[in-house]
Amino acid sequence: MTHSITRRLFGALVATTALAGLPALAQQGEIKIGYNADQSASGAAELGLSGRYGFEAAIEDINAKGGVLGRKLVAVIRDDAAAPPKSIQNMNELIDNEKVAAVVGPTNSGNALAWLHIPQQKKVPVVSHVATATEITGRYAKEAQNYIFRVSMVDREQLALLAAYAVKASKDKKVAIIADTTGYGQAATKDLQEILALHGITPAGIEKFGPKDTDMTSQLAKLKAAGADMIISGSLADATAQVLKSMEKMDYYPGLLSTWGSINSPLINIAGAKLAEKTIFAASTTADANPKAQALSKRLLARYPNMPAFVSAAQGYDAVMLIAAAITKAGGTDGDKVAAALEDVGPVEGIIKTYNKPFSKTNHEALGVADFHLAQWKDGAVVKLDNAIVKGLTAADLKR
Amino acid sequence: MTAFLQALASGLALGAIYGLIALGFNITYATTRTFNFGQGAFLVPGSLVGVSLVLLSVGKPHFGNLAPAEMTMTAYLLATLASTLIVGLIGIALYYCAIKPFVGVAGLNWVLSTIGFGIILQNTALAIWGPASIAVPSPLGSDVYRIAGAGIRPQEILVAVVAVAVMAGLDYVLRATKLGKALRAVAFNPQAASIVGINVEKIVIIAFVISSALAGLAGILIAPITTASVFIGMGVALKAFSAAILGGLTNPRGCMAGGFLLGLIEALVGLWRAEMREITIFLIIIVVLVVRPAGLFGTKTVEKI
Repeated sequence: MTHSITRRLFGALVATTALAGLPALAQQGEIKIGYNADQSASGAAELGLSGRYGFEAAIEDINAKGGVLGRKLVAVIRDDAAAPPKSIQNMNELIDNEKVAAVVGPTNSGNALAWLHIPQQKKVPVVSHVATATEITGRYAKEAQNYIFRVSMVDREQLALLAAYAVKASKDKKVAIIADTTGYGQAATKDLQEILALHGITPAGIEKFGPKDTDMTSQLAKLKAAGADMIISGSLADATAQVLKSMEKMDYYPGLLSTWGSINSPLINIAGAKLAEKTIFAASTTADANPKAQALSKRLLARYPNMPAFVSAAQGYDAVMLIAAAITKAGGTDGDKVAAALEDVGPVEGIIKTYNKPFSKTNHEALGVADFHLAQWKDGAVVKLDNAIVKGLTAADLKR
Repeated sequence: MTAFLQALASGLALGAIYGLIALGFNITYATTRTFNFGQGAFLVPGSLVGVSLVLLSVGKPHFGNLAPAEMTMTAYLLATLASTLIVGLIGIALYYCAIKPFVGVAGLNWVLSTIGFGIILQNTALAIWGPASIAVPSPLGSDVYRIAGAGIRPQEILVAVVAVAVMAGLDYVLRATKLGKALRAVAFNPQAASIVGINVEKIVIIAFVISSALAGLAGILIAPITTASVFIGMGVALKAFSAAILGGLTNPRGCMAGGFLLGLIEALVGLWRAEMREITIFLIIIVVLVVRPAGLFGTKTVEKI
């Protein structure tokens, strides 16, 4: 009995020593960065796919310049198909088996909320480059070290921009909300109500529809009767496309504002190119925003002619750049040190902007409403919107 | 007023979809007193096979997006035929796997076996096509027709026309043809039908083939309205099933009327409060079932044990 326990203890000891030795070995070799995002399933999958293109391009660029701390960066890509269980499994695998230094992802906010506790407990920094739910960076904000960062739109911030535009553009301040009954749609409705209240406005109407509905004419008829001339859609691209199709049926075209989900091609494919031009949406960058964006867009399009959403490619690219800078600053891949370094990193040259200490102990959002702008589809491409109303928006209008 | 007319138009368009799918429940119920609980899953290969065939015919991979110009009337017609045929053939597999083992056995085994077959079918489609949805352009274009201010799309009119035609066809077959007589005879008394020389198994297979083929037809017909995806069937088939129960499972006119009624309720209640749509629909169904258990247009039958 005693004998067998000793043997087991010995075995455990050997195993622990062997495990402890592993990071030391890896230290000499490459640094793995995980990518866990939906690239195939949901209405936002294109953001995850384009995000991967940008993620890989950044790793290429860093390796071309000799890597990080003289070590090569290696991408470990996983697709979670928008399913939370798969996303959790990917996360465990990336952290426990692949021993990644950091993770970029996911696409869907729901998936992030399903696994945030894993990287937080295992002390692996995560940079969310697509998912927009306000709660993602906030959940562990009060802990000694919050390991969750973001280089993406934030729902509350993008809705603040949409609301500011709607309030300015509406003649009689008749702004209405339409959203699907998913968690995303209802969270957006709640945020919008609160933001509009800051503007001193009660929505002219708040309408809901089922996530698979194809006809919203009844709901829109109510908004029309209420006199709404600006409607904000809190849904993903496919649902917003159906809203547009219903507007076409009724020949009722108030201004339609939507979240950055409209940057995805389902909007164009379902609503058609002409109708798709009738919605204005928020975006962090467009392919024509600055010379660096133009260059990256050109380079990625040469390789992936069907690349759907440049915006998340830029965000994926910048996420890797920030992680690499933090690893350099930390002098290694220890999660604790990298997370601390991220909070004090910069200036880092990115695609969207130059990040000058983008994160701090209390702020884990690299981008804010000041970095976002409004965009629109034009002849099959996303272009920046620049009209009198946009020019007239001041910092004071961006209530949130 | 325009809002009301628009709700009528939208409701009828929606109801035609429910009715068309509901017809698939009628024929097998009229023959075997069973039906395919997994009918929703049969819409999936219906839409995806058709769309993929059009995609392949223009030299694209089987999963992608079609430009409106690539969806010609000929391509769509051929795709519709192919979808109807292929899903009809799946009906034979459905019969042998999920119905035959339980024919004549008391109990509800066939309920679970048809649901199970549907899940198998849906997951097979998931493996082939993946979870994303495909936007399908209508061969009739996307222009809106306007009647007294209410807009309706040509594809929606097509669905309604086909649905009513299929209903009339089924009604005629069941009432006035030899096949219809055989179908009804099998429903009434399989032993007696077999004694007078009707091949009962053959008739039952025909019923399941027709039912499945109708799901295939519905799948490709509604794809330009709902988009084509692996998850398209579930919600809409539940509504269609409700329509069949509401109108009466035993005759095609009941199924169709139930479909239109459901669509109209949905659109009109939406004018009042969108979140009350489902609540109203199912409250009405419960009331109807209490007052008329066989549905609004159904004929009373005695469950044989």
